[in-house]
Parts: sequence; structure tokens; C-alpha cells
Amino acid sequence: MIHRLLVAVVVASFGLVFASLVVGYTEQSSLRPLAESYVRLVPHELGAPNVITGILLTYRGFDTLGEVAVLFMVAASVGLVLGTRRARRSASAKDRPDETRSSSEVVRTAAEILVPLICIFAAYIIMNGHLSAGGGFQGGAVIASGVLLMLLAFPQYQPNLDFLSITESVAGAIFVLAGIAGLIMAGGFLDNRILPLGQFGAFFSAGAIPLLSVCLGIKVGCELSVILERFRPQKL
Amino acid sequence: MMELVGSIMVLLGAVFHFSAGLGMLRMPDAYTRMQAGTKASTLGNTLILLGLAIYHPGWGLKLLIIIFFVLMTNPISSHALARAAHGIRIPMAGQTGIDALRDARRKPGDSS
Repeated sequence: MIHRLLVAVVVASFGLVFASLVVGYTEQSSLRPLAESYVRLVPHELGAPNVITGILLTYRGFDTLGEVAVLFMVAASVGLVLGTRRARRSASAKDRPDETRSSSEVVRTAAEILVPLICIFAAYIIMNGHLSAGGGFQGGAVIASGVLLMLLAFPQYQPNLDFLSITESVAGAIFVLAGIAGLIMAGGFLDNRILPLGQFGAFFSAGAIPLLSVCLGIKVGCELSVILERFRPQKL
Repeated sequence: MMELVGSIMVLLGAVFHFSAGLGMLRMPDAYTRMQAGTKASTLGNTLILLGLAIYHPGWGLKLLIIIFFVLMTNPISSHALARAAHGIRIPMAGQTGIDALRDARRKPGDSS
């Protein structure tokens, strides 16, 4: 009874806190000065209809690079922590009978149909990052979801970790090199005007933003795939 | 007229979603809850997206692709979940009499 009363009090106080947020809310009808200058500058200076991606990959490209570095560190530490466990386990797994059930035919067939679709969708998201909602991080996460489906549907599927790590390093290196090229040939680190801006709203436009998006997408997809692969229970 | 038809279909889909939620609360065991959630929410999703496609004909192709995706993924993920639940022997409700998967798994000639 006291427990329930406590729960009710907690819920009511949460309700009060959020009610104060809702009551005091008035929708902003005009942009703040910073937002307004971004909205004005991005299509004009960068040639990208999607203001968010324009900001993320150029004005705050350095910040994005930091986020990717954080993700890379996560992948590396997951590999460090789970890699040792795996080595121990695989030694003892040899004399253990195989208990895992294979996935059913329905799941395998569906995975065969869905994985290409997921990959196409990921490529669409990445390549349209500068035009509409999307971008490298989101597309990379979608790629990783396809890899996760493969891992679930085909337990014996073994992604090539060396290939993934090499691809990821190359994508990261191209990202940084494009940034340095911006430093030399244009206005600053990760400036997108190293390539011609092209026609506003076209598929190949907005300078280096599509290239940076692709690098980001590949890098994020590879990193998340490696993390997922590390978390898989081992049966050898 | 098109807007009315689309709205009614969205409402119908919402009714199916409500029945899915009700089934999740009312069904006795994991398997029946799963099938309530899967069937009703798949139909509800399809109806809502179709209603939207009628309401906004310009979005039609994209919505059809989403419908295809939902039809592909929702039943199959529930199938995988139910099989996994069966595999770790989550108990069924008391009245359940037939277990076709167990009968199929049992090897021919094995009478136990």
C-alpha cells in the first residue's frame, strides 16, 4: 500500500514538472538570430537544401569528426573487452555439443529478400543527406541493421573483420583528407567548396558534402557492424 | 470524397491497433499475445498507410514500399520470436491442446 502510494506521488510530481513545461510553452513564430543566419547562409554558401546536414558536415564538421572518433573508441574498447572473452570461450566451446537452433526457413528467406532492400535504403539515405532528411550517421546505422539481420538469420555467417576495419580506416582517412583539402583550397577545415557547388538541389551538388556523407556512412556502418559482431555469442 | 475515404481507413486502422493493444493486455500467454499484436497491428498499419496514400496520392509509391516492408518484417519477426519462445519452452496457457511445432520436431518413429 505504501509502495503504491509512493508510486502515485512520484507519478504526480513528474506530471507537475511536465505540466509546467506544457503550460508555459508558446510556439516560436520566428527564428532565433543564430538559426536565421544558418538558414540564410547554408543554401547560399554551401548549396545544400538540407540545412542540418550542411551545418553538421561543414560548420560543425570538426564536431562530427569527434563523434566518429568517439564511436571508433567504443568499437575499439568493445573489441578489447569482448575479444579476450571470446578467446577463452572458443577453447571451451569445442567439446560442448552444439545447442543453438538454426533459424527457420521463413526467417532465412526473408533475410535474403530484406538485406538487399535495407542496403539500398541505406545508400538512399546516405546519398540524399544533402537534399532531404538523412545523412551518414543514419545511413550507417541502417547498414548495421542489415548486418544484424544477417547475423541473426545466418548464425554461421562470418563478416570479414579485416575488410571492415580496412574500409573503415580508409573512409576515415578520406574524411580527414577532404577536411585538410578544405584547409588548403577553400576557407577552412572541412570546407565543402573544394568541389564545385553545382546546381542547387541536384543530386551531385553542395560541393564535398555528398563525399563526406558517404565516408561517414561507410565508417559508421563498419564500426557498428564490428560492434554487433563482437557481441554475438560464439559457437565454434 | 477521397479525403473522407482516406480518413475512414486511417480510423479503421486505429481501431485495429486498439484491438492489438487490448489483445496484448487480455490474452493469457506469450504466444496468444504475440499473435494478437502481430495480426492486428500489421492490418492496422496497412490500413493506416493505405488511408494516407488515398489522402495524399502524391505519397502513394513511398507508402506502398513502406506497406511492403511492414508486411515483410512484422509477421516474420513475430514468427522468429514465437519460435524462440517455443525453443526455450515458455509455457502455454492451460487450455492449449495442440502444439504442432513440437509434433513436427519429434522425429518419426519416436513415440515418447
